[in-house]
Formats: sequence, C-alpha cells, structure tokens
Amino acid sequence: MTSLLREARFLLSLRSAALAIACLFLLTAVAIGAGLVEVARQEAAIARIGPQQKADVAAVAAWASKGRDPGDAAYYTFHATWDPPSDLAFAAIGTRDVSPYVLRVRALGLEAQLYEGEIGNPEAALPGRFDFAFVLVYLAPLFVILLFHDLHSGEREAGRLRALEASVGSTFGFWGARVAVRGAGLFIALAIPFLVGAAVAGTAAWKVAAVLTVILAYLAFWIVLGLVVARAARSSLANAMTLAAAWMALTLILPAIGHVVINSAIPLRQGMELGVKQRTAVHRAWDVPKSETMNAFFRTHPEWKDTAPLTEAFHWKWYFAFHQVGDEAAGDLARRYHDGVLERAAWSERLGMVTPGVATQLALHRLAATDPAAQIAYQDGIRAFHGQLRRFYYPYLFRDKPFDRADFDRAPAFQPTSEDGSWPGALLAGVVLMTCLVGALGVLRSRR
Amino acid sequence: MTTEGEGKAIQIEDLVVRYGDRQVIDHLSLGVAAGEVYGLLGGNGAGKSTTLQAILGFVSPTSGRVRVVGLDPSAEPVGVRRAIAYIPENVALYDHLSARENVDYFLRLARLRPEQDEMEAAFRTVGLAEEAWSRPVSGFSKGMRQKTAIALALLRRASVLLLDEPTSGLDPGATADFNALVSRLRGEGAAILIVTHDLIGVADIADRIGFLEKGRIGDEMVAEGPDRFDLRALHDRFARVRAA
Amino acid sequence: MSVILSVAHNELRHLVRSRVALTGLILVALLTFAAALTSQAYQADQAALRERLQHAADEDFEAQPNRHPHRVVHFGHFAIRPASGLAAMDPGVEAYTGNMIFLEGHRQNSANFGDARQSSLLVRFGQLSPALVLQVIAPLLLVFIGAGMVAGERERGTLRQSLLAGVSGGALLAGKGLALGAAALVISAPAFALLLWLGVSSAARLSAVALSAGGYLAYLAFWTLLIIAVSATARRSRSALIALVGAWTFAVVLTPRVSPEIAAALAPLPTRVETDIAVQRDLRAMGDSHNPNDPYFAAFKQKTLKAYGVERVEDLPVNYRGLLALEGEKLTSSLFNRYSNQAFAAMEAQGRVMDALVVVSPTVAIRRLSMTLSETDLFAYRLFLEQAEAYRYDLVQRLNRLQATAVTAADDAAKSKSASAEARSRISAEYWRAMPHFDPARPSAADVMGRALPALAALLFWVVAGALFAAQAGRRLNRSAA
Repeated sequence: MTSLLREARFLLSLRSAALAIACLFLLTAVAIGAGLVEVARQEAAIARIGPQQKADVAAVAAWASKGRDPGDAAYYTFHATWDPPSDLAFAAIGTRDVSPYVLRVRALGLEAQLYEGEIGNPEAALPGRFDFAFVLVYLAPLFVILLFHDLHSGEREAGRLRALEASVGSTFGFWGARVAVRGAGLFIALAIPFLVGAAVAGTAAWKVAAVLTVILAYLAFWIVLGLVVARAARSSLANAMTLAAAWMALTLILPAIGHVVINSAIPLRQGMELGVKQRTAVHRAWDVPKSETMNAFFRTHPEWKDTAPLTEAFHWKWYFAFHQVGDEAAGDLARRYHDGVLERAAWSERLGMVTPGVATQLALHRLAATDPAAQIAYQDGIRAFHGQLRRFYYPYLFRDKPFDRADFDRAPAFQPTSEDGSWPGALLAGVVLMTCLVGALGVLRSRR
Repeated sequence: MTTEGEGKAIQIEDLVVRYGDRQVIDHLSLGVAAGEVYGLLGGNGAGKSTTLQAILGFVSPTSGRVRVVGLDPSAEPVGVRRAIAYIPENVALYDHLSARENVDYFLRLARLRPEQDEMEAAFRTVGLAEEAWSRPVSGFSKGMRQKTAIALALLRRASVLLLDEPTSGLDPGATADFNALVSRLRGEGAAILIVTHDLIGVADIADRIGFLEKGRIGDEMVAEGPDRFDLRALHDRFARVRAA
Repeated sequence: MSVILSVAHNELRHLVRSRVALTGLILVALLTFAAALTSQAYQADQAALRERLQHAADEDFEAQPNRHPHRVVHFGHFAIRPASGLAAMDPGVEAYTGNMIFLEGHRQNSANFGDARQSSLLVRFGQLSPALVLQVIAPLLLVFIGAGMVAGERERGTLRQSLLAGVSGGALLAGKGLALGAAALVISAPAFALLLWLGVSSAARLSAVALSAGGYLAYLAFWTLLIIAVSATARRSRSALIALVGAWTFAVVLTPRVSPEIAAALAPLPTRVETDIAVQRDLRAMGDSHNPNDPYFAAFKQKTLKAYGVERVEDLPVNYRGLLALEGEKLTSSLFNRYSNQAFAAMEAQGRVMDALVVVSPTVAIRRLSMTLSETDLFAYRLFLEQAEAYRYDLVQRLNRLQATAVTAADDAAKSKSASAEARSRISAEYWRAMPHFDPARPSAADVMGRALPALAALLFWVVAGALFAAQAGRRLNRSAA
C-alpha cells in the first residue's frame, strides 16, 4: 500500500506522465461530450418527427376518409418507425451515422422501402466519429505506449536502475506498484468521463460494468505488451518504435486487410440485384392475367382465398397482392442479403479474437447496440411492423370494408424493439486470451 | 587595421564569453602560428572547452575577436571548420561502418575525394592494424578510435589541428607514437592547439604552454633550449592553477 | 551537392544495414502494393457489376410490353453510379454513398446499397486503399525511420563530428531529407505505379493523375521535412519520436475525426423522413390534385382550356390527365430540388468547415485533393444525384406527355373499369425503346481543377512551412554545440 502511494506521488511529480494522463482525460471527456450531443440530436430528431408524422397522417385522412376507400388509406398513409439510441449509444455511435434511425413505410412492397438511405454527408462519415470507442481503441494504446515504453529502460538509461532495485525491498513489488499506478491513471482518465456520460445517459448498471471491464481488458493487453517489449531490455527508443509498430498493425493495418478479405469473401451483390428483381416482379402483374397474380398470392395467403373474386375493374386488393408477391419473389435475395451482412459481422468478430483493437471496437458497439447486427435487428423490426400493417389493411381491402376516419387511429403503431445490446463474452475472452498469449510469450522469451 | 598577431592561424583577442550572468571567458587572448604547437593547460571549469567551442563556431563571443585562418567562426562556422581538423577526447564514429568507410564518409563531408592508397598510408602512419581497417568500428577500443580520427585528420590536410585531451586513455607506447605524429605535422606547417590537463605529455611537444585560469591566460611559458621546459616550474605553476 | 548525396548515401546505407527499418520499409511497400492491387480489383469488379446492372436495367425498361404510360412512370428505371476514374487510388466517399437509385414518378428515392451499411464495423477502421496507405500509414513509418536520423546522431556524437568536418547544417539536413524522401518514394512507388497505370489505361484524366501524384509527393515531402526538422531540433531521439507521433496523431487521426463533429454542430442536416413529410406538406399547400375544387388546379384547368381555346375539358385535343400529371410532376420535382439543394447546401457548409481545418492539418488538404481528383468526393456524388434526378424528371415528363398525346381521354378515364378500354390505353412498346439512356457526365475537368487547386495550394503552403522549419533547424545546427 505504501509503495502504491509512493509510486502515485512519483507519477504525479513526473510532469510528462501527469500531462499525458490529463490529456487522455480531456480527450475522453470531449469524446463523451460529442457522443452525448450526437445522441441528443438523434433523440430530438425522433421526437420532432412524432408530431410532424401525426399531421401528415391527419392530412391524408382528411381527404382519404371521404371516399372511405381502404386502398387510398393503405396507399397514401406512411407509418413511422424509429430506432432510438440505446443508453450506451453515446459511447459508440457506430453505424447510426450511415444508416437511418427513422424510416417511414407503407403497406406496399417492403423491399423497395427497407433499404432507403438517410440524408448524410458522406464526407463527414468517412473519417469516422470522435466517440469514446475511438478514444479507447485508437488513442488509449498510444498513451499506454507513452507511459510504459521507458518504464524499465528509462531508469536504466538514466543509470538509476541498479540503485533503484537495490534500494527497494522486492523488485517485483516495486515494478508491480509502478505498473499498477500508471495503469490506474490511464483507467481513471478513461473511466471517469465515461461514468459521467453514463450517469447523464442513464446507462444500465450491467452495461457500465461491461464497459469498464472492456476498458480494463484492453488496457491490460497494451500494458502487458508494453511490459513484454520492455523486458526485451532494449533502448527506450527501440521499445517505443516496436510498440508503435504493433499499434499501427493492430489498429490500422490488420483491420483494413480484414475488411478487404471479408468483403471479397462474402460479396453482397444481392442488394442491388434484389432492388431490380422486386421491381420487375411487382410490375409484371400489369401484363399477366390478374388470376395468375392472385393464385400466387393465395398460395402463400390462403386466408384471403374465399374473398370476392376480381372483376375487370381495378381493385386495390389486387394491387396490394401483387406488391406482396413481388416481395416474396425477392424474398430469397433479401434473406441472403440479410444473412450476408450478419455473416460479415460474424467474420469481423473472428478477426477480433486475434486483434484486441477490433474486439474492443466490436464489444463496445455490441453493448451499445450500434453495430450492423443492431441495424439488421431494426430492419427486422420494420419487417415485423410491415407485416402488422398488411394484416391491418388486408381485412378492409379484401372484404371491401369501408375505411373511416377513426380507422386511421386504429392502425398499429411501431414499437421500437428495445435492442439492448448483449454481453460481449466471446470478444472479451478474445482480448484476455491475446493478453495471456503475449504475456506467456514474454515469460518464455525472458526464460530463454 | 593590423594587430600584432595578424596572420596567425588561430588568433584570439580579448575574448569574453558570458552564459547569462556567468562569465566563462574573461578577456582571453592567444595566438597559434603555423608550424607551432600550443598547449593550453587548465583545470576543470577553467574555460578550456568554451575556448574550443568559440574557435569551432559553436559559441559566439560576447565581446572580443576570434579568427581562424582569417575567418570569423561565429560568422562563417562552416568555412572555419573546413580549415580545422579536430580530434575530440571521445571520438564519435558510425558504429555500423568500418574505419575505412567512416574515414571515407567524413572526408566526403569535408569535400575531399580520398584515394584508397592514401587512406591506407594514413592508417599505417597512425599505426592502425590492417585487420581493423574493414571491420565495423563498434568493436574498436578508445585508442583505435583515436587513431582512426588522427588518420582522418592527416587526410584532411588541415592547416589547423585542435586536439582535445588527445592522449587520455592511451597507453605509453601509443602516446609516444602520437607525439611523434604531432611533431611531424608541425613540421609540415600545421598550427596545432592542444587542450589538456596532462602536463607531462604536453611538455614533450608544445612550443608554448598557456595556463588557463578562470577564463584568462594567467601565464605563458615558451620552450627553450634542448630541455625545452623547466618541468619543476611547470609543475608548480600548474599546481597553483589547479588550486585556484 | 556531392556532400548532400554523400550524407544521403550514408543514411540509406544505415537504413539498409539496420534490418528493422528495412523490414518496415519493405512491409509497407508491400502493403501499398497489396492496397493498389485489391483496390484496383475491387473497383474493376464494381465497375463491371454496375455496368452490367445498368445494362440490365436498360434492357428491362425496353423489354416492357405495350403499357399505359403511367404504368411505366411507376415501373420506373434504375440509375446506377458508374465507377469513376481514380476510385482505385482513393475510393473516397464511395463506401458511404449509395450507388443505385430507383427512379420513379412522384418520388425522389435515395441512392441505396452503399458499402458502409452492408459491411462489418471494420470499415470504420478505414478501407485499404493506396490513399489510406499514403495519407495515414506512410507518414507514421517515415516518423519511425526518421525520428532518430539527426537526434540519434546527436546522442552518439557523430552529429558533432560531421559538422566539424565542415559540412553545413543545411547540407546535412538536406542529405538526410533526401534519404528519407527516397524511403518515402519506395513506400509509395506501387501507388504511383497504379496512378500511372490508371492514367494510361482508364478514363482518368492525365491532369488528375499528374496533380494527384504531385499532391502526394508534396504531402510526403511535408512529412519528410517536418520529421527531419523535429529530429534536428530535439535533444534526444525519444523526444523526437514522441513529438512526431503526437503530431501525426493530431494531424492524421484526430483532426479529420473532430472536424465532422464541429461541422455537424454548425450545419445540422434534416432526416429524410422530415424532408419527405415537409415535401408532402408543401405539396398540399401548393395544390391538392385529389381535390376537384383546389384553387391551384382549378386555375391550371382554366389556363389550359384558354390555351387550347376550348370550353370544356372533354373538348381538349389532348388527354387532360396527362397534362395534370405533367403539372403535378413539375410541382413535386421543384420541391424535391429545393429540399435537396438545401441539404446539399448544408453539406457543403459542413465541407467548408471541415476544409478550414487545413490550417492545422495538411492531411485535410491531401484528403480533399485526392478525393476531388479521384472524383470520389461529395461534389462528384452530388453531380451523379442531380443528373439522376434530371434524368428521372425528363423520363417521367416524356411519359406524361405520351399520356397526354397518345392515350385518349376516354380510354384513360375508363381503363380501371373496362378491360377493353384498358387494352386501348396501352401504347406501343416502341416508345420505351426510344427513351434516352442514363448516361451521367463526370465532373468537368474545370470543376475538378477548380476544387483541387485550393487544396493543392494549401499543401504547398505546408511544404513551404516545413521547408522553412527545416532550414531554420539547419541554421541552428551550425551554431549548436551539438
């Protein structure tokens, strides 16, 4: 305990080290602040849309209810869906800046609506966000390198090493205290702004604990790597170079190569193809006998089979039926696209098992539910909601039930699936495993 | 304007160097002519290395005048350094290069194109064993490094030689060889300034010896007759310098 | 000059003999090579895919049977963004933009299926491209190699020895800079080879190739000068390394990331949903085509009747529904354009804020220069979207005119009730085949240059600043006690 206190005082007296820790604290605070601002902006946008959407539906209802035609109502009414940021989204904005978090759909073909993009400045999205995840994954290791590369060699180069080791009782205790104090300094610089952010955002306790664990595991990896390199007993300069090279490889090069490999191993052309296919399938209906479309529709939806037969005249139920048939024609491609996105994410997790930076990035985004899996979950939510919309309108359409003003209020409302993130056990295990591996390598080397 | 020592290879007149409040060189004057060896003796903190810095253009005079082959080192440091061969106490060489490569490189920096046989002759002259010529200098002893530096100085054909504690760390045989070499260079017309606290060594070869005390020349002795210096007088004088 | 070459030669010899630096150099050169290769392969693949899809979309459009023109308005068309000339060098925003737009009547759809949305989070680490290697990785490697070039010699004493040989500080730094510059060229050679190859083999403009190469050379020259100057100024190589890694982190990693946060705060963008709702709201305010008593459409009707000199809609020589469709599309389209111009104006305001940070980071300048010349910037993307919208509007209005002229009003009115009227309301498939194809123009050379030159000027400014710093460091070296 006394040695810890001594080392803490020593650390504070080192201007460069104290400055580094203060700097990391400041960067983390700014990142947390930026994250909270972004989340507030997104929440404000979602809140803004509520009344606007209501007014829009009311305006449609105003004229469509006159004719009481359920087709008009189903065709012209848009229904809002939204994906509120989770209580941890401030720490890892993730894909929320490139994919929509609000989307309106109507009961027509879903595949033509589901992939709609958001108005975003691609040049702003390109460099990535300045959020907590960025500070932790990219910047924190640089601070570890700064504080640990000369832990041993610095004393040796200053000619103090022997005297130091001779004057302290146990060298293990001495270096242990020094490492613990420096590590704790960095941890505090990261954790305190995060905790403040979590308090503001009302983050669930288990997620706070999980993030703290992730910080700890990731810092531990870099510290152990730093110690192993320092053990190799070379100059401070060589240590700094080796560690910075490792940083470059682990946070820049390997993920970039991984991205290329994954995307070329799992090509996702289905997206563009499915757009074309759905459109063609939908419009084909105008050129084939209506019965053909209806038979195809009844095969998958026999519950409407016994409704009144179509005449020569246009009927909305045929229109909606062929939209659904169009969706079903593109269903296979849509599923493959859906699975492809998830498979790419799964492979990135596998890469995370050997690159702690990737694992940390993925773990934080999993916890914050801002990763591609969360995007897909939102799409699944929209898909389910769209099913509800169809089930809501179809009885009116197929049974020729008039659609009154009050019916507009009976339409199902979107319930955001509170996608709550999950404990990134495997990813954390990956970081810990890599830490042990590096540590074991270091021990083996120093034995030899 | 001509002064008394105009035309000497190293001419220092009334030099004052101040670092902040601290006056390191206090109205120092000295001159070294071509074909002359001047020994500058002084204890720690007497201002020996500052004097060297001023000659080499690394330190600008607070007042007074320094001229090396007629050039002002603080205005034309590069020109002055081209005229000087400087052998420091600890010779710094590129560890990954051989003696031959080091000498070749430093000569190129001095804008000289060394011939291989000239270089080998210089190595032989300084007594560097032939097996060492092509081996990385990382394994060289202090004496071998010194010899390499002297070989470099020879090849530089500089008109001014600055030697900073040249014989410290050399064994007696090597010291004798070194002194012979300095004498030869004097014979060839070089102006040689030796800065040292090795009284005995410098007495063997210097033509004049100046005692540097608190930044100024306290006394100057000139070699006379076959015995050159009165060693006892030198010794007493130096003891006073050191006590100061 | 020969002294400078000697210093450079000595430095390179050191580099080759210290195997760590050489390994790093070779590895990064290989990385550049791999980046060039994969990036080129990916772009070629994308170009082929997009061309094929556009071709298929054209064929689908032309293969439509006889149809009512309004059906074709809803059948719509696809506009697919062709790959641009130097995208293999710098994919820029490619991954963050959609590449395919469904063009239909009454709606302005977004460009969908951008890569970033369908990739794993790894895409946020940066995409492996020659631009990433040259902008981000190469400077860091140069820092590793160069941080100790002068400071290390100062620690070992050889710096003093070299200066005492009578070499000027300037010449010494020039020689070291030359060596470091040579290392930079080795790393970047595969990227320059790719640029050259793209210039020769593809549609890339030679001016863009030359300016891009020049920009990267300037960028690497800046880093070389900075590294040498810092190394010459620092007392120890470790402090030089820490200062330079700090500068790199600030300029390359931090500034580009912080700039969007500042920009987003200063010029916020609306969401698409809000825009959609606003368009619908404005449209209802302008005129409601569903309401027979709407003043706007009543006035339109009067105007039309007067223009044709008839009393009743039934007496018009053309199909009034078609005229209504033309008018309606004109209204919606003007609103789409107004809102999209607003959004783009906000984005460009953001862009100006981000570009202004060029005063603290040359990386901002090279990014802008490289993306602009590669035609993978926001400007090129906007040009594509605007051309797609213009094409959509033109196509829809052609079809609406066909509805007005080639479909009789009586058939049009009866088509949803009578099969025979419906059959008569279909016009010949020949018409579809006569429609123009979507053939977007690339940004003009003048536009590209106009946007690239300020960035190039900023880069040159940084090079000059670096050179002044290095020159000053060289002068100080002459007087320093080393």
